[in-house]
Amino acid sequence: MNKTMLLALAGALAVAAGPLWAGEFVVTQKNKSFSTKKLSLKVGDAVKFVNEDPFPHNVFSLSDTKSFDLGSYGQGASKAVVFDKPGTVEIECAVHPDMKMIVEVQK
Amino acid sequence: MKRWAAALLALLLTTAVHAADKPDDKAQGALLPRDSSDAAVFRGGLVYANYCVTCHGINADGNGRAARLYNPRPANLRMSDKNDAYFGLIIRMGGKALGRSEFMPPWGAELTDEQMKDLVAYLRSINARPPQ
Repeated sequence: MNKTMLLALAGALAVAAGPLWAGEFVVTQKNKSFSTKKLSLKVGDAVKFVNEDPFPHNVFSLSDTKSFDLGSYGQGASKAVVFDKPGTVEIECAVHPDMKMIVEVQK
Repeated sequence: MKRWAAALLALLLTTAVHAADKPDDKAQGALLPRDSSDAAVFRGGLVYANYCVTCHGINADGNGRAARLYNPRPANLRMSDKNDAYFGLIIRMGGKALGRSEFMPPWGAELTDEQMKDLVAYLRSINARPPQ
């Protein structure tokens, strides 16, 4: 195996291992509010939203950086989303219009 | 001329007597009776504006600010062919329970029975679908 092949293999391993380095943040939904109002993370990180209320919650965003809807889920259930672009993402709950938080995605 | 004047005087007196008979009416102004259908529609409109407008839009035509996230898009409630019972069910149980969009949340745990009933009344009041 020559040096070029070794470098290529190392590069491929680095790319494959990239997601393993990404972090996962946990945000709970309790008493009709998110456990934090603002969260800073890096591109590739994920946020898991855990419903700790005895009724359904929802998570969605209409931000240009990341638009998504995780749907509705009941007590004890969770849903996760990966933030793959830098920018500011406003998170909302469709069921409870007063529930909002900000995710700042850094490069 | 005398006859017209007498009739006008009688009308004014009658109005004055009725006003004196019902002091509460004046105090309450234009309040709707709580159990009236108009009151239900009004309350339902408030529920709609708070909870439904994000997806279904201010005109209830399915063009809310979040509509772009969904395929199929949120229902055009003005042109819906569903009856009140169906509206009540899908509001309470959500879209997934009725084989529709999973993104329509179940509202049964968030809204009171009265709010859901009022919301159905409001949706019926704005329905513009021609009779079949």
